[in-house]
Amino acid sequence: MMSFLYFIPNSWLPLLESAFYALIFPGFIAILLLAFFIIWFERKAAARVQMRYGPLWVSKRTGGIIQLLADMIRFSFQEFIVPQGADFIPFVFLPGLLLAFSVLPTVFIPIGPDYSRIFPSNYTLLLAVAFTLVIPVYLVVLGWAADNKFSFIGALREAYLLISYEVPFILAITSAFLLYGTLDLVKIVGIQESTLPGIMLNPIAAIVYVIAVIRATGRVPYDIVEADSELVFGPYTEYSSLMFGFVMGVPYIELYSYSLLFSVLFLSGWAPATGIGFLGGLILPGIVTFVKSVIVMCFLVFLRAVYPRYKLDKAVKAGWSWVFYLALIALFLSAVVSRILW
Amino acid sequence: MTQEIKTVPFTYEALSQLEMKEGILELQIGPAHAGSGHMRILAWVEGDTVVKVDPDVGFVHRGVEKLSEDRLYIKAIPMVERPSLVDTVNANLGYVIALERLLGLEPPPRAQYIRVITAEISRIMSHLYGIAIYGIFMGSSTVFMWAVADREPFIDLLQELTGARITYSHIIPGGVRWDLPKGFADKVEVALRYLENRMKDYEKVWINNPVVVARSAGVGKLGAEDAIRLGVVGPNLRASGVKYDVRKNDPYAAYADFDFEVPTFKEGDSYSRLLIRVEEIKQSMSIIRQALKRLPEGKVIYEDYYKRMSPLMKEIYDKTGRVKFTLMLTSLSPPKGEAISRVEGGRGEMFYYLVSDGGKNPYRFRLVTPSFRNLPYFTHVMPGHKLADIPVIYGSIDYFPPEADR
Repeated sequence: MMSFLYFIPNSWLPLLESAFYALIFPGFIAILLLAFFIIWFERKAAARVQMRYGPLWVSKRTGGIIQLLADMIRFSFQEFIVPQGADFIPFVFLPGLLLAFSVLPTVFIPIGPDYSRIFPSNYTLLLAVAFTLVIPVYLVVLGWAADNKFSFIGALREAYLLISYEVPFILAITSAFLLYGTLDLVKIVGIQESTLPGIMLNPIAAIVYVIAVIRATGRVPYDIVEADSELVFGPYTEYSSLMFGFVMGVPYIELYSYSLLFSVLFLSGWAPATGIGFLGGLILPGIVTFVKSVIVMCFLVFLRAVYPRYKLDKAVKAGWSWVFYLALIALFLSAVVSRILW
Repeated sequence: MTQEIKTVPFTYEALSQLEMKEGILELQIGPAHAGSGHMRILAWVEGDTVVKVDPDVGFVHRGVEKLSEDRLYIKAIPMVERPSLVDTVNANLGYVIALERLLGLEPPPRAQYIRVITAEISRIMSHLYGIAIYGIFMGSSTVFMWAVADREPFIDLLQELTGARITYSHIIPGGVRWDLPKGFADKVEVALRYLENRMKDYEKVWINNPVVVARSAGVGKLGAEDAIRLGVVGPNLRASGVKYDVRKNDPYAAYADFDFEVPTFKEGDSYSRLLIRVEEIKQSMSIIRQALKRLPEGKVIYEDYYKRMSPLMKEIYDKTGRVKFTLMLTSLSPPKGEAISRVEGGRGEMFYYLVSDGGKNPYRFRLVTPSFRNLPYFTHVMPGHKLADIPVIYGSIDYFPPEADR
């Protein structure tokens, strides 16, 4: 398949392929470009609703799509201030760690049928979910390290919401597992291809998953953790300069990995495009999966233009009551559907 | 109707006891905070529950009262407008009514009607601004942008009338500075229809939004008796079920000529404080329409002032409807005495007290603004709520720090 790279020894090819996957698509560079796009889209779509232009003057011809780049350049020239009472090491290193951990789940989420060749594992779903769940723990530490009352309250809010929405999230994942009977995401997509997309097989699990994702990534109406009129910027209040850019980007990258998982679990992943090899088995299906998850992301960021912020105690209550009940119903539905189908 | 108000007495002893208590966190919200405005809110929280709130006002004190003692009577007009920047016409009107009572003159009916029209346009803008601030405090940038932008047609109208966009200084002792331009009524009708259509969008996206109802219904409740006892004013008082409106109870300008409702709600919570502003916008529209339909003919300036104008000024007035400032207007010296006036501003009752010693400057000027009188919401209503309710209650009472600080 990669015969055009004739000057490279054959033994290097798998390594090269992995490197391509990790660095270019759907890895680092694709994520970076997507972050540009999705932040631009969020601002532009909200601006459209709100009767204004949104980002425009940085490259007017493209509608200001490189606004984030301009912001990043500006951030990098600002002073990075560490508050006197802050715990230095966690305060300085956690943003980078958060960024790394928000990218990591994408390693385990396949983008094509041939992916199992690169990352052979029967537990990709479990691994992906496990790595998405690491982030809130760091967020709580980060809020504590900043030595700011608003950061501290933001971190506590994160902890409360984490506990109350992680349970429905895990239940939604469990009902997906129950539905497909496997933890291998490649096989899960195969099952969806042969029957129906997961969102039709178990719509309730998909709804619970989306609610949990809105909560986990702090999208409106669940931007309770960084509520600006209450807590300035929640756990990230004390960050300045490039570190602020990092912590601002983390939720978007998290959103990407969650959406990728959603399109694989419920939208039958790369469904129409299947094949083998590098191009047919990874790139073309990868683009289909990518586009599906971008559509999911666009929907989730568009909520900003519609809803105000929810309240902490009500959100926690909802997480333990109707979202939890929905998750239980999803579990039951999965059991029924899987019994009917196979 | 009565409800027990959780009050922590404000003494330093009580305060220090509070601070000594374990598990209480003192939060300084503001003055540089996204949810504070130009003030500082000292809040003590126990867990997520607010136990005490102390609004620290005065960050934008301008000294309007003291400064006006050094100004000519007419030069104090631009200054009394400054504190309440989104409701300048009503602020201007109250001062001028007090001054006219000192001077003992009654402006002609056409001027009174024009005053009512501009005052109601100003009220609509003030309420829209209140809705906008409420929106952004609850985290909805959409409603903030919409409501601020929907003031635009009304700003344009007053710009056409007065030449300014925010501080118009349009109302002067004895009348108004400009007559309505040609075709003004049609333009007002276009703006009103625009807003009527927009209000439907607000209802869909904001007023009936389940998250808005969940966050504001039942939050920040104040019963009728407590509202009277605490002395809150304006739409907030009416939202608590007290039918009190200066326009009805003590009519000024031409308000006695119009029939309009004073909407009230029984609940007295944040959601009803939002709804009452929407209702009052509808009433204001009705008043503007009535006033434009029944607009009397005649001069827009006190007859005696017109007579004493120079021929050139009279010619300018007859041709363009513009009142040039004569020496007589700029050097008013009312007889010795004192006068009070009350107007219903966008945020509530505005009270003016003017004392004259016969000179060219006010001897004493007192201005009581509605925002200052709505401060008890911080100290008496916020305690007992959650931390996230502070911006909701703050936004719902339409508190404007520069207005309170004067």
